[in-house]
Amino acid sequence: MATSNLLDAHFDDSEEDDDNFNPQPADLSDAEDAAADDDQDAGDQIRNEAAQQQSGDEGSDEEEAANNEDDEGEGEDTAARDDDEEEDEEEEEDDEEEITGHRRKRRRERRNQFLDVEAEVDEDEDENDDDEDELNEIKDNFIADTHPDDLADLPAGGETDDRRHRELDRRREMEASLDAEKQAEILRQRYANKNRSGRAIGDSAVVPKRLLLPSVDDPSIWAVRCKEGKEREAVFSIMKRIEERLGTKNELAITSAFERGGTQSTMKGFIYVEAQRQADIMTALDGLMNVYPRTKMMLVEIKEMPDLLRVTKSPSLEPGAYVRLRRPPKYAGDLAQVIDVTDTGLELRVRFVPRLDYGLHDDSNAPVDAFGAKRKRPTAGPRPPQRLFSEVEAKKRHAKYLQGRPDTKTWTYLGDEYINGYCEKEVKIQTLITKDVNPTLEEVTRFASGAEDGTENLDLNALAASLKASTANASYLPGDVIEVYEGEQKGVVGKAVSVQGDIVTMAVSEGDLKGQTIEVPTKGLRKRFREGDHVKVIGGSRFRDEVGMVVKISEDRVTLLSDQGNTEITVFSKDLREASDSGGGGSLGKYELYDLVQLDPSTVACVIKVDRESLVVLDQNSQTRTVMPSQISNKLDRRRHAVATDRNGSEIRLDDVVKEHGGEGRSGKILHIHRAFLFCRSDTSTENSGVFVTRTASVATVSAKGGRIAPSNVPDLNSMNPAMKRNPPAPGDMAPPKTFARDRSIGQTVTIRRGPYKGLLGIVKETTDTNARVELHTKNKTVNVPKDALGFKDKISGQSIDPNSRGGFGGRGGFGPRGRGGFGGPTPGEGGGRTPMPAGGVERTPAWGTSRTPAGGANGGRTPAWKQGGDASGGRTPGWADGSRTVNPYDGSRTAYGAGNRTPAWSSGAKTPAYGLSDGFAAGSKTPGYSGGGDAWGSKTPAYQPQQNQSNDSSWQNQPASNNWGSNAYDAPTPGAAMSAPTPAAMNAPTPGVYSAPTPAPYSAPTPAAAPTPAPGWGGGGWGAPTPQAMDAPTPGAQQGYYAAPTPGAYGMPETPAPNWQDDGPRYVD
Amino acid sequence: MSENFVPPGQQRNLRACMVCAIVMTQNRFLKEGCPNCEDFLHLAGSMDAIIDCTSQVFEGLITLADPARSWVAKWQRLDGYVRGVYAIKVSGQLPDEIVAAIEDEGRIRYIPRDGSATEAD
Repeated sequence: MATSNLLDAHFDDSEEDDDNFNPQPADLSDAEDAAADDDQDAGDQIRNEAAQQQSGDEGSDEEEAANNEDDEGEGEDTAARDDDEEEDEEEEEDDEEEITGHRRKRRRERRNQFLDVEAEVDEDEDENDDDEDELNEIKDNFIADTHPDDLADLPAGGETDDRRHRELDRRREMEASLDAEKQAEILRQRYANKNRSGRAIGDSAVVPKRLLLPSVDDPSIWAVRCKEGKEREAVFSIMKRIEERLGTKNELAITSAFERGGTQSTMKGFIYVEAQRQADIMTALDGLMNVYPRTKMMLVEIKEMPDLLRVTKSPSLEPGAYVRLRRPPKYAGDLAQVIDVTDTGLELRVRFVPRLDYGLHDDSNAPVDAFGAKRKRPTAGPRPPQRLFSEVEAKKRHAKYLQGRPDTKTWTYLGDEYINGYCEKEVKIQTLITKDVNPTLEEVTRFASGAEDGTENLDLNALAASLKASTANASYLPGDVIEVYEGEQKGVVGKAVSVQGDIVTMAVSEGDLKGQTIEVPTKGLRKRFREGDHVKVIGGSRFRDEVGMVVKISEDRVTLLSDQGNTEITVFSKDLREASDSGGGGSLGKYELYDLVQLDPSTVACVIKVDRESLVVLDQNSQTRTVMPSQISNKLDRRRHAVATDRNGSEIRLDDVVKEHGGEGRSGKILHIHRAFLFCRSDTSTENSGVFVTRTASVATVSAKGGRIAPSNVPDLNSMNPAMKRNPPAPGDMAPPKTFARDRSIGQTVTIRRGPYKGLLGIVKETTDTNARVELHTKNKTVNVPKDALGFKDKISGQSIDPNSRGGFGGRGGFGPRGRGGFGGPTPGEGGGRTPMPAGGVERTPAWGTSRTPAGGANGGRTPAWKQGGDASGGRTPGWADGSRTVNPYDGSRTAYGAGNRTPAWSSGAKTPAYGLSDGFAAGSKTPGYSGGGDAWGSKTPAYQPQQNQSNDSSWQNQPASNNWGSNAYDAPTPGAAMSAPTPAAMNAPTPGVYSAPTPAPYSAPTPAAAPTPAPGWGGGGWGAPTPQAMDAPTPGAQQGYYAAPTPGAYGMPETPAPNWQDDGPRYVD
Repeated sequence: MSENFVPPGQQRNLRACMVCAIVMTQNRFLKEGCPNCEDFLHLAGSMDAIIDCTSQVFEGLITLADPARSWVAKWQRLDGYVRGVYAIKVSGQLPDEIVAAIEDEGRIRYIPRDGSATEAD
């Protein structure tokens, strides 16, 4: 029994011990006190019980007396220890009470108990004899009391009883020593606490912050201006000053100073100094660098003081979370994923997509010296694009820097580690941006394709953690049903009434607070939906704009069944909103069917299918691919005015119908024109939604939109004519192409019509395409004048002239109308269709008229002369000779000349009849002669003949002359050689200049057809034969002769030319 | 005498004790250990311990001239510590085994100084 009790007592002991091992906080609650009391009571009880039992035992069982005594002793021991414990407790309880008395009491008690306990032990040891004596005495008494029969019952060696005693003692000793250890432990604990109390952490650790709030007795805090970014330095300099003056009479009276700087902080630019008096701060900070105590310092209100020291926990990073790199510059701003976090949370292992150029842009000439690496500055140039690591590329140039094992896809390249294509690196948390990461879907998908089997495993939870941090994404609108899931009002459900910044005012609709309006921060809010709600996805999710029905809600993740795809998608409730409409169709975001989109700088594609979250596109290489909207860099608007040319050179525009030439011969309407690619849509094909890609050069126009005239075969040469660019044509006019020879305006007398020299007369000395240098008559000065500011004057008459039109135009002018008629008539199609020339001719008419008109002075002068000449062959009036021969007419050049001369004749004579008229010619000169002349001019070429033929065909036979003529003019260029032979260079020059450019091909082309025609009427025979040879043979002189020979004096023509030539000659030579 | 002053050039080597938040250079931690916590952190001479128990990431510096009278010290639970420069916030967590060790050995309740403790209040 006793044993069991003892055990009980021990048990209690241990319990109490345990209690003591956990030192109670300084401010014990009443309940704890009560509990301690209970313990005490329990201890007392046990002790009493033990005492009773002991007495009982003593009384009843004499045999066991020794044991009993031992037990008793033990019991006492225990009791004593109990006392000890109680004392300890008391001591702790009463710690705050008067200490001295308590101490004394404790010491006394302790001594007593110590004596109690130790006495026995010590008795064992030191007073063994006494003990034994005592024992023996007792024993004797017992034995005396013992019945002799009982003695026999005693075990053998009963007289060696003390051995067992010793055994017991030893055991007890051992226990006691154990106890001592425990006690020591307790003591140590206690005294450690005592020692530590000076350090205060033990106390402060349990003093709640609310008890530490500042009071009026505490020093005040002032905010002192400080240079931004120098806060830390300022704090350290204050520290320095404090320590320097410590113990001197100048000792600083401030108690502390602190800063809350940092780039993101709102408290930068200040340090805060704590002192009793403001004056102390002035003296403490006076003369410190970067601190400005003399500017107005602000006293911080007492209730705001704790806010100054508020610390918010930076979000801890979990593996899988996304961060952004700050360093090195090459990767600044790039997204990285956390793989591992060290215990301290200060170093992370991250992986990111590398930007490597594999030495492609290494400067091989870069100086390689000891400082080479250091000197290398991170170049500000464009960074290589983000691409997964490729050992193949690395091997090309940097094989020596590459180590690794292909089987694990682990490589070390240039000191960095690459695993599965990602660069993995240990970085310090300072070098990362962990707040407001806001990874875009595109960035995140780069990390998604990590799985070996190729499946994309996007860790939505990690993404959520990264996104959640930024509450900016969550938007609440009045009317949203929201729920508080965090904070004191957790569980409250209501409807948002108004939203102001981060605070949402909500009308509570459920629970105790029902009917009240409370304000809650958005941080602890989420939207609440019910199953069956029709919702629309808003916000940053990739399911944006999806509409569907809520089917499941788990915390803040909502699963909904999409209206469109009948698939289940899961999004965060913050990205949802009640929807009234149902899902739209036909477009994904801003991309619609048949839109042209830019995939990368060199690839465009046409949307041919719109899926729920992806697009199928047909790119310019006729490949279809499926892309996510995030992979599309841009949508290209339809360029309404895009123009291209088909294989025939006709222009094609959007919506034209074209047909592929060769290949599959597909035809379709042009959807988009992008560079040389056409995206066409065919109604007959269903492949790729009827869209196909082809090149502009391989299609032919079938029909142009709006019946636009598609010039059959001819490109618009106007737009590519460089000459036109230099000399912009008058509206509707064809530009006079530049001559090959020197500028004819050189040497001309001009007036300046614009600019500072306006009105002055001068002579053109030199020219460029646009400018002329004019030597002024008025003073000896040569000035630069734009050509278009020049008015050309006849040297002699002072009439305005046109230097360019002079020859060709002048000549043709007269004949123009007619000749044109001639041309227009016979070869309208050709003329119109084939060459701009005829068209030009037509258009030119007015020009000619005009050009002619001015020249008219001269011409006019001449015309009559000519007419006269014409009339009276002899009538080479002086006018004619002089006037017409003069500059202009001559300049007109042969053409002009011929034209000029003849034109009037023709025109006047005219018209077909003119030819008849040319009886005069014929009669006088013998047609042949004339025709010879004609030859010289016009017929030299086969081209001419056709012309003639044609004209003949077109019933122009009567007018061969005109034809002749015209053809002449036109022909001239073609047979340059023939021409040149007979006529001086001058002859060539003008004509070709004017006509050659446009004409050559067209004329020659049609020619053959015409060849066989009735030229003969014309004197074709004479024609054909003489043409080239005749021309060739005669030199100018000869020609003259030629002319002269056939023509009678009356005709006069021949003569005229002669002088002309001669006159002209020199001029041209000049 | 200005032993706690750290010239700006040295300030990049500063570390803050995660227990008491005192800010010193790494070298000084290595030579002298933490003046407040050396009894149980045993930083002197042990680079590993320094790396475990101190942090390079801290915000807000306090120069503490009179720990006994300063309210700031009281609020930051720095009263009773030595004069010196302390941090307001020390990021990083003491490894669990060290927390256990100091709570056992030093009889101190460890209060994280990275801001996680204040949220409880």
